[in-house]
Amino acid sequence: MYAQQVTFKWDLVSNYTREIMNRLLIVFLALAFSNVFAHVEHHIPNLGAKATEFKDDGKEAHKRPNMSHKDSLIMQRKMHPELLLHKRDRTLRQGVRGGRASLEKCVDCHTSVDKDGEHIPVNAPEQFCSTCHQKVGTSVDCFSCHRTTPAEEM
Amino acid sequence: MKALNRRDFIKNTTAVTAGVATIASGISLTTFAAEPKESEPVTKEKRWGMLIDVNKLTESNIEDMVNACQEENGWGNEVHSRAEQKPNWIKKVKVKDKSTGKIDTLPMMCQHCEQPPCVDVCPTNASMKREDGIVLVDKHLCIGCRYCMMACPYDARSFVHEDLNNQKTHMPRGKGTVESCTLCVHRVDKGGVPACAEVVDSDAVIFGDLYDANSKINQTLKKIQSTQIRADLNLNTGVRYSGI
Repeated sequence: MYAQQVTFKWDLVSNYTREIMNRLLIVFLALAFSNVFAHVEHHIPNLGAKATEFKDDGKEAHKRPNMSHKDSLIMQRKMHPELLLHKRDRTLRQGVRGGRASLEKCVDCHTSVDKDGEHIPVNAPEQFCSTCHQKVGTSVDCFSCHRTTPAEEM
Repeated sequence: MKALNRRDFIKNTTAVTAGVATIASGISLTTFAAEPKESEPVTKEKRWGMLIDVNKLTESNIEDMVNACQEENGWGNEVHSRAEQKPNWIKKVKVKDKSTGKIDTLPMMCQHCEQPPCVDVCPTNASMKREDGIVLVDKHLCIGCRYCMMACPYDARSFVHEDLNNQKTHMPRGKGTVESCTLCVHRVDKGGVPACAEVVDSDAVIFGDLYDANSKINQTLKKIQSTQIRADLNLNTGVRYSGI
């Protein structure tokens, strides 16, 4: 009954008004949805799952489609704990060796060398790990056990 | 000498080009294949074990085994720990038969039990057994409660009491966690043998897959008499001894 009444009322409205209403509706919907999509893009619900996805496609971060060098930096800054966590359990508990990501390789490249040619621990003040971690006030637990400099040449 | 005609020239050039292309593509293929591949997870189809023939080991052999383990895994340089606190992944143990006075000296380490008591008691699941039978401590989860040290009948585990640095890359160790023999899991996963087995005669300490009927350890265990230490506990150890 109600539906019939509504159709009846629409018939009374002039074609011109109806067109304006339709356009407004489209504008309203567009605004509403763009807001939702924008929200989805900025929020990564499960970083662990995202890390798995990145690792499964096996490409280097900045070589992925739609990812600039800047984006890959942001990804690494935001997700490096997940990327490493994912690997650590597989290595220790399931014996999966090799592959691209490992803490050892992070340390190999990200340590600096002092004037005497000695490697400076990667977690020392003002070094690679500590600069950010000091700023955001989080402690790094990795290096109470893991080696902080590249392995000496045998 | 016969002059090359047009047809022969084209034929030869094509053959050479094809050859070079084949070889070159082979080279580039191997270069790209250098991208490191992850190995497959370990499975229950293997069970790593060790057979130690006590009669073939002298005391200095056992000391060599201990030193090799220290060198490989980087323990034994702790300066602030008291003697009873220092880690002992593998140690020289003397056992004496009270009635006959016979003394045996044997190397003692984690026995890599099939039913490990250390795993049963761990409150955080840090003490764990891999599918292939190697018992490990996941130091990411270890809270240092030392229940596993209490539970182990072989006194195989130790607790790190002091800050460490310059650890081996393949063997992270740190203050506040429990550690023990890993059966040199980093070597085994690459197809190698544990450091202690490598330094002594290959007949005195045999490392291998207990399940593989063709392995030396399996065949030797079928032939000779061997014992598990504290076999009465029914833990089914991976490390077996003969000659005691």
